[in-house]
Amino acid sequence: MDPSERPMRIGVYICHCGLNIAATLDVEELRRFAEMLPNVVVARDIQFTCSDAGQNTIKSDIAELKLDAIVVAACSPRLHEPTFRRTITEAGLNQYMLEMANIREQCSWVHMDSPALATQKAKDLIAMAVAKAALLHPLETESMPVSRDVLVIGGGVAGISAALDLANAGLRVYLVERRPTIGGYMALLTDVFPTNDCSICVLAPKMAEVYANPMIKLMTYSEILAIEGTVGHFRVTGVTKPRYVDPTLCKGCINECSSACPVEVPNEYDFGLGKRKAIYMAIPQSVPLVACIDTNACIGCGLCAEACPADAVKYDQQSEEFKLDVGAIIVATGWQPFDASRKEEYGFGRYRDVVTTLQIERMLNAAGPTRGDVVRPSTGEIARSVAFIQCVGSRDQTVGNPYCSRICCMASLKNAQLIKERYPDADVSIHYIDIRAGGEGYEEFYLRAQRLGINFIRGRVSSVEEGDDGLYVHYEDTLLGKTLMKRYDLVVLSTGLEANSDAEVVGNLLGLSRRPDRFFEIAHPKMRPVEAHIDGVFIAGCASGPKEIQVSIAQGSAAASKAMQLLFKGEIELDPTVAFVDREKCIGCRLCVDTCPSRAISVKDTAFVDEARCKGCGTCSAACPVDAIEMRLFSDEQILAQIRAATAVKGEYPFIVGFLCNWCSYAGADLAGTSRIQYPTNIRIIRVMCAGRVDPSFVLEALRRGADGVLIAGCRIGECHYVSGNLHALQRVEVLKGLLKEIGIDPRRLKVAWCAASEGDILARKIEEFVEELRDLGPVGTELAAALPSGKV
Amino acid sequence: MSGAKFTEEVIRLAGEEIRTCIQCGTCSSSCSTAHLMDNSIRKLIRLVLDGRKIEALASDSIWLCTSCLLCTVRCPRGIRPKAVVSALRQICEREGIRSRDASFERIFMDQIRSMGRISEVLLSAAYALRNPDAAVPIMEMGIELLSRGKVSLDPGSVKGMDEIERIFREFENE
Repeated sequence: MDPSERPMRIGVYICHCGLNIAATLDVEELRRFAEMLPNVVVARDIQFTCSDAGQNTIKSDIAELKLDAIVVAACSPRLHEPTFRRTITEAGLNQYMLEMANIREQCSWVHMDSPALATQKAKDLIAMAVAKAALLHPLETESMPVSRDVLVIGGGVAGISAALDLANAGLRVYLVERRPTIGGYMALLTDVFPTNDCSICVLAPKMAEVYANPMIKLMTYSEILAIEGTVGHFRVTGVTKPRYVDPTLCKGCINECSSACPVEVPNEYDFGLGKRKAIYMAIPQSVPLVACIDTNACIGCGLCAEACPADAVKYDQQSEEFKLDVGAIIVATGWQPFDASRKEEYGFGRYRDVVTTLQIERMLNAAGPTRGDVVRPSTGEIARSVAFIQCVGSRDQTVGNPYCSRICCMASLKNAQLIKERYPDADVSIHYIDIRAGGEGYEEFYLRAQRLGINFIRGRVSSVEEGDDGLYVHYEDTLLGKTLMKRYDLVVLSTGLEANSDAEVVGNLLGLSRRPDRFFEIAHPKMRPVEAHIDGVFIAGCASGPKEIQVSIAQGSAAASKAMQLLFKGEIELDPTVAFVDREKCIGCRLCVDTCPSRAISVKDTAFVDEARCKGCGTCSAACPVDAIEMRLFSDEQILAQIRAATAVKGEYPFIVGFLCNWCSYAGADLAGTSRIQYPTNIRIIRVMCAGRVDPSFVLEALRRGADGVLIAGCRIGECHYVSGNLHALQRVEVLKGLLKEIGIDPRRLKVAWCAASEGDILARKIEEFVEELRDLGPVGTELAAALPSGKV
Repeated sequence: MSGAKFTEEVIRLAGEEIRTCIQCGTCSSSCSTAHLMDNSIRKLIRLVLDGRKIEALASDSIWLCTSCLLCTVRCPRGIRPKAVVSALRQICEREGIRSRDASFERIFMDQIRSMGRISEVLLSAAYALRNPDAAVPIMEMGIELLSRGKVSLDPGSVKGMDEIERIFREFENE
């Protein structure tokens, strides 16, 4: 017989958990109670339900009693839900036909001193679970074939590292770079810390490897125009700009064409210190080794075409559009240097002998504009005294960059060492606030700089002035407590790293969120370092914040490994516990589009949920003004059934219905249990995936059915598992409080609490407080009775 | 007022940001009178945060600030060091602590009340009488200025003396 045609047959299993549950709760009474509940065919108590014997009991009951759904009243579903899902799957049931009643962490362990009230609460919890179980539906996990190709955006060291790892594992990679060569900023640096080995010497082989690898399609001088689709199938459109040089013919000799070219412009790859021609190659080690014509500079004289022995110059070259279908995208768009001229007091742009970190890198580079000499740009003479000014554009709220750029201390330590080694008599000073040298071998590197005789002056420089004979730096030596002034030949501003403004387009196309520091935000600031909030999108290197080279390389590899995990099987499983739209009801108001933190909803006449993107938080469902969005699990009818079951017998006063988010506050309540933190028995907790899931109708239903108060608890603000769900919850609560006031119910009956998974004690105290507050308010409806002239309802 | 209470009071008057001071010295090295100060502005903030009320209030630096606000414009933490100075002045006032030059201030106010304006010659003379140490440099500078016609011996007069008297009385009544 089709299960849908007959009443649901439910089995209830009450766990003793040794004495963990049975010592406080009257398990036999719970069993007798459960037996009497509607739809329950069998109720058993088991010593340890998670043991093989316990699981076998469930399995044989499913077979013999033809059970449709199972309720396990035991520990937290966060612990053993996967176990029992496996159990019932083995017995032939759909894994989603399971509901757990948390009578250990949220009952027996937290109400050890009031066994009678705790047993009453456990009865409610079981009744709530049975009510929900009766409304469960089998959900199918579908899998979707995916493209195994990966797009890597950005050809700096992070992108190179990701591309090589993917290609070496056998995945096809498209590496798209905006500039004419890959290599990023690393290709322009001189020696690099903490080993002082030559940057391009260690990077060039990797760049060449990218070029040679048949699994990597390298697209330089190219940009992304559009990205559509979702994880598994991103449809990407881009364009390769014309270099006006045929890459198949160009031999990369560059001297022939560029010496013929009559136009000279400042070289952006030397940060303005040197010059280049209109036909140029960014660096001698460019990959691909192909010249490029800068159309802003070219006067169209045709001399380069005449000079080229390979006839590679093609003035009629057109831009070419390309289309890709990729399963995953790695964003490695890097950073941009802080514009030092914004700190007017340091005189960059006004005083020629004030330079930036990148300019000193180029000066120190043997292939740079000064062939490795450290000179005063104003005179061309070797600089005999050099100051490094730290934290220019970092740790500075006046320019909107409160963060530490992390690499500048080490970069200045390194450049100061290089200068001191080249010119032992030079006076080299580093003006710093704090020296940050945390990393393997970094403190030793600092020690080396001190031993070389570099001066370390603690105190941030307030201004630089140009005098007749050099630059004067003003500072307080904060360790001496003296305000001082010192003369230097050359001042190097240790400029910080900023989020790359050129990456904004890609960020917007993908829907990536940004932190207040404007770098791309990762899915979790600690636990998920290379994942974006969008499935199938990974972030590596400085796109998510300032990083040194070794960390960028590690992140490139990490992102590659994440992309491999996702795509290797060629198909991905879709979580069925997502939202879906009733198109009959939908009015196309787009409220859900704005609330969805995963950008999974689009509207064409009616809303549509991209199930591959949806993470199942349910914020859209609560936001929908016409109840057109439903969740496949944690549906409105299931939650309402739990509320009704909870309030069927109001066995206690005050009586609280609580909605706790799965990730933080429900976990916090579990922690209160494992820590045996005792709190009043007055609350009946309903688990939701996110505080944002709580529909105003849930709150009203609970109050209407006699709950004295409703608690909504979620992750701490700013820590929501779904980014912004708790903010939506907060907003809704504010509105709802106004509504409650309007209908004559004291708005204090609705309370919100934010607590982390580690804050079981805080949650317990909040519940305690709420019970006290509600005791003062009296039973629900007191305020209505007081408002009536007769004093009666 | 205990140390901790003193810190809280300055923070209340000058802003929460004070707690975030990183002692970088941008304020003191931006300060035009820093070379005259016993404690730099940076150190003053440290004294405040450490609850060292007596040292902070006894510091000359409080009275040497010219309110140019360069410290406040440049502070990388968004602290207003000038506001800290003002807060300390306010607390001094409230607790009856006078600066070293309190006698100067009294003479200054007395002259305004009696003449409606300041006469540099009379002011200097009155100050020199009360502070014999300062008499010689004042006289030296006075002679130089007189010889160049930079100061006048005639104090002159102003209109509306009754208005000025009214302002003083109103202030006294407060």
